Amino acid sequence: MRRTFPFIVLIVIAGGILWFFPLFHVVSLKQAQDEKTAATFNPAQFAENFWTDKLLPSLAKAVPAEKLLPAIQHDPANAKKQFAHTLGMSDSYTYFLSGTGRVIAVSDDEISLALTVGSTNDEVTLPTGLLFGNAVRDGTGLLDVNAYPNSQDFNNIAAELNHLVETRVLPGLKEHAKVGATVRFAGCAEVDDESTDLKPLHVVPIQAEVE
Amino acid sequence: MNRKELFKRLQPLIALIVMVVVLSIATGSQFLAVSNLRTILLQISVNLCLSIGMTLVILTGGIDLSVGAILAFAGAFAAGLFKNGLALSLFGVQVQFTVLGAVIAGILAGAALGLHNGLVITRLRLPPFVATLAMLCIARCFAMLWTSGHPVSALGTKFDFMGAGSFISVPMAVWISVTLAVLFQLFSKRTPLGRYIYAVGGSEKAAKFAGLNVNNVKLWVYTLAGALAGVAGLIQTARLDTAEPNAGLGYELDSIAAVVIGGTSLSGGRGSIFGTVLGCLIIGVLNNGLVLLGVSPFWQLGIKGYVIIAAVAIDNMSSRKQE
Repeated sequence: MRRTFPFIVLIVIAGGILWFFPLFHVVSLKQAQDEKTAATFNPAQFAENFWTDKLLPSLAKAVPAEKLLPAIQHDPANAKKQFAHTLGMSDSYTYFLSGTGRVIAVSDDEISLALTVGSTNDEVTLPTGLLFGNAVRDGTGLLDVNAYPNSQDFNNIAAELNHLVETRVLPGLKEHAKVGATVRFAGCAEVDDESTDLKPLHVVPIQAEVE
Repeated sequence: MNRKELFKRLQPLIALIVMVVVLSIATGSQFLAVSNLRTILLQISVNLCLSIGMTLVILTGGIDLSVGAILAFAGAFAAGLFKNGLALSLFGVQVQFTVLGAVIAGILAGAALGLHNGLVITRLRLPPFVATLAMLCIARCFAMLWTSGHPVSALGTKFDFMGAGSFISVPMAVWISVTLAVLFQLFSKRTPLGRYIYAVGGSEKAAKFAGLNVNNVKLWVYTLAGALAGVAGLIQTARLDTAEPNAGLGYELDSIAAVVIGGTSLSGGRGSIFGTVLGCLIIGVLNNGLVLLGVSPFWQLGIKGYVIIAAVAIDNMSSRKQE
């Protein structure tokens, strides 16, 4: 009895600990599968919600192009400091801007706009082909990379947002934008580094209306 | 203990102090910055866990080349159980592991592979070098099979706490490795099994004649080394938030280097966990110092190699003088 007593005490203590801190749970395979599906990140759904709930309502906060473009031309470093968003330690940065311009050229994959009255130079281009890059995801500064431990998830968000622009914004723009038409746009421009030529500024439109 | 003996025992500590002084002068305030010292401790924590087990093995006169591969398997096993659970299709259920469950499973997986080493060495009478070399391949195979060759990542902050978290501004990995070092220093010096380890390493024949069950001692030692490699695997996995089936490549060599630099005799019977802690610190400080001094990574490997030669040569010379 003396020899077994310490073992009994030990078992009771271990049982108590495991009661409060269990080592595992047993669930049915179906429940496990459902939980896994629910926990799996769905970038398309996330992009859809982000587009509707955050991105479109934030368009009013875009920097007016007539303010941003002269600032970039006058002092790019200062303009970057004042208006750009940078993701983590990346060299690239993004601008979130809105403006109105006159279509001066239309090609297969982009529309060139002159924003200044009387100007014949393309100051902004809006792509109309396939989109790549992270301009829409990063441009508004609404998404924090640190909130996504899995970088693949974060990359997928960019791809899905580009897909939304390709399917919801670009078709109308491509169809109606003719030379001489006026385009009101809001969108994001991604700049690789400070040596990038910003004439014209390549803007991925989140919203574009042709008049 | 005479002065020569004392000097011999203090050699690793003296070497460490000299290195710290030299690097502090050479790198200005960089080396002694709290953040840098924290980084050194964090970086050596995995090697320290491996080296504690390696010290026990080497004290018995053995060697364990499989600790790096066991680290990879244990980390991957725990991460896989935690992330994906264990589906038992036959019963239509899935066992979902908590962090504690996955951690215990990882340590037990390491211990099981260590026990396998011990059984092969004691029952099949294979030399430790061969048995653990085989386990290096076997454990790596298990890690690849378990993960299908892919990393297991995004384990979450709860799992990552033991590798990336802190307690009183000291990384958890450091707390774990230092606690293990203290426990195993006491274990090796104050418990019967600890003393048997020294006895077996000193002279296996004498230990047998004295009535020790040498095979049992070896079984325990290799099992403990495997379990400690499991702990190292968990720390590494938690630190990186990823279990890589290829993790721990070459770690066994760093671990053997730390043990040897720390003054443990490769022929067994002589050395201590405390010495191994110093050995790990010397390697960690050396690695860090060379980076701070801007030495090319190619040179760093060579310098580390010569430090190992110097440590063993000095140890041999002072042993011969004593004899």
